[in-house]
Amino acid sequence: MYIRTLRLKQFRNYDRLDLQVENKVNLILGENAQGKTNLMEAIYMLAFAKSHRTANDKELIQWNQDFAVIDAELEKKNGHATLGIVLSSKGKKTKINHLEQQKLSDFVGTMNVVMFAPEDLHLIKGGPRLRRRFIDMGIGQISTVYLHDLSLYQRILKQRNQLLKSMFPVPQEDQEIMLDILSEQLSVAAAKVIERRFAFLRLLEKWSREIHEEITRQSETLTIRYQPSCNVSEEMDLSMIEKRMKETLERDKQQEIRRGLTLTGPHRDDMSLFINGKEVQVYGSQGQQRTVALSLKLAEIELIYDSIGEYPILLLDDVLSELDHHRQTHLLNAIQSKVQTFVTTTSVDGIEHQTLQEATTFYAKEGTLTKMK
Amino acid sequence: MQYPAPIAKLMEGFMKLPGIGPKTASRLAFYVLEMKEDDVLEFARSLVHAKRDLMYCSQCHHITDVDPCRICEDTSRDQTVICVVQDAKDVIAMEKMREYNGLYHVLHGAISPMDGIGPEDIYVAELIKRLQENENIQEVIIATNSTIEGEATAMYISRLMKPTGIKTTRIAHGLPIGGDLEYADEVTLSKALEGRREI
Ligand SMILES: Nc1ncnc2c1ncn2[C@@H]1O[C@H](COP(=O)(O)OP(=O)(O)OP(=O)(O)O)[C@@H](O)[C@H]1O
Ligand SMILES: [Mg+2]
Ligand SMILES: [Zn+2]
Repeated sequence: MYIRTLRLKQFRNYDRLDLQVENKVNLILGENAQGKTNLMEAIYMLAFAKSHRTANDKELIQWNQDFAVIDAELEKKNGHATLGIVLSSKGKKTKINHLEQQKLSDFVGTMNVVMFAPEDLHLIKGGPRLRRRFIDMGIGQISTVYLHDLSLYQRILKQRNQLLKSMFPVPQEDQEIMLDILSEQLSVAAAKVIERRFAFLRLLEKWSREIHEEITRQSETLTIRYQPSCNVSEEMDLSMIEKRMKETLERDKQQEIRRGLTLTGPHRDDMSLFINGKEVQVYGSQGQQRTVALSLKLAEIELIYDSIGEYPILLLDDVLSELDHHRQTHLLNAIQSKVQTFVTTTSVDGIEHQTLQEATTFYAKEGTLTKMK
Repeated sequence: MQYPAPIAKLMEGFMKLPGIGPKTASRLAFYVLEMKEDDVLEFARSLVHAKRDLMYCSQCHHITDVDPCRICEDTSRDQTVICVVQDAKDVIAMEKMREYNGLYHVLHGAISPMDGIGPEDIYVAELIKRLQENENIQEVIIATNSTIEGEATAMYISRLMKPTGIKTTRIAHGLPIGGDLEYADEVTLSKALEGRREI
């Protein structure tokens, strides 16, 4: 899939933008603070209906304005779609082909995006929250049902944590019954999330292992393992995972009441990565961590192709300068002529790859983009 | 802008109603000034009467102007089934459907720890008492909403009912829906009486 036109109105430092792009690599060149990341953010919004760097939509509206608009014409394998987002103090409206969508989950997934930004290099060493987010966004792009199940899980979790807090120090009888009910609800929702994450990581491993071997010239084998907080494994079916979840919640009840928190479940799970059997998080060098992050992102592209039959749009924000020559080459080779890509950088000095030489270059300055060639 | 005191007071009154902000309140207040005095009096009276003359039925807790309510008093209705709903609005919706001919029980809410609503804040205990005192009841249909809170409330009631041995069914909904989470939105699902399952 690819974007044909992108229009912005009062979005961040773009007062008005009307951009025509082609199905190829687009290079956005510009100094710091000119609007390169803002452009990426706008495209990201069209895929996820939320920003990659803020949870507060109001920040996206240009200062002193009361609304912002993002519009795009998207070409897909089976036709053409117009996407639109309007942000205002009243909230967020999303449109597909000019029809307002009642549910965000109906909007998300129409356009698929994979973004690679410097923050992603922390994917390996950073906190588990980052990895859960990576997994959830990855699955959410290809499955609306998953988004639904996940939000259900999170709501039950909130209810349960609130109940736990109110049960300390002396639980009432009716609270005990309610806890039992919420544990049951939570287990049912948790099992769906866990099962789907297992399956996703299996696929991701398949793709990233191949890519990683290529980048490392067959010297490193990548393994991905889902690390559930509950004692479950990949071979178990839904009802078994559900049962284990319930047992664990029952077992830890007293401790959970004392702490006012649910201690087991998908919100506490993690994933581990291994190179030749050694955990990257513990033993990996910085370079190895970067390579793994790169392999995962490239794998995500293939995985989306695998599940929906076309490539997503790739956003590379400021990452080229973070990778060494060999990895740059690999990344640029991988996207060559098959994925519409937006690459930002402050300078192309030292990057001589053909992909960039053939790219359409735009110059970003103070909220405007000028086509160079 | 400074409003004359009587208008400001009237606006204040309108703004206590759901969904009415200062703009709408001022429009309504100025409209009232244009109305005929009789109409205004009639309107004021109905406001007071609705509040004074309406109460909850002592049996089913539906809103009513007589106690017990007309539904509870109607002997042509099936006295062996009770349909448990969250709000008085649900009774009105069900009655419009004309598919159901049993009795009701209105909970006036659903259990939600997040909102500080526990079982004691809704009419659950009254339901159990009603079942214990009334030997005619053979089935209880739980028609709480399909939200997480509605489901939890249904499960809670069915637990409490276990010892009574009365048949409990849950009205069939579509998928249960999330809540305030980013991707979850309110979906109204059609409630199908026919597809109810035993819980
Ligand atoms: N709501 C807003 N309204 C107007 N301008 C904004 C708004 N939010 C951010 N900006 C401006 O946008 C600019 C930042 O743009 P952006 O993050 O896209 O920079 P960049 O080109 O990616 O720079 P870098 O190379 O440093 O990453 C800042 O100058 C900031 O002041
Ligand atoms: Mg930037
Ligand atoms: Zn009644």
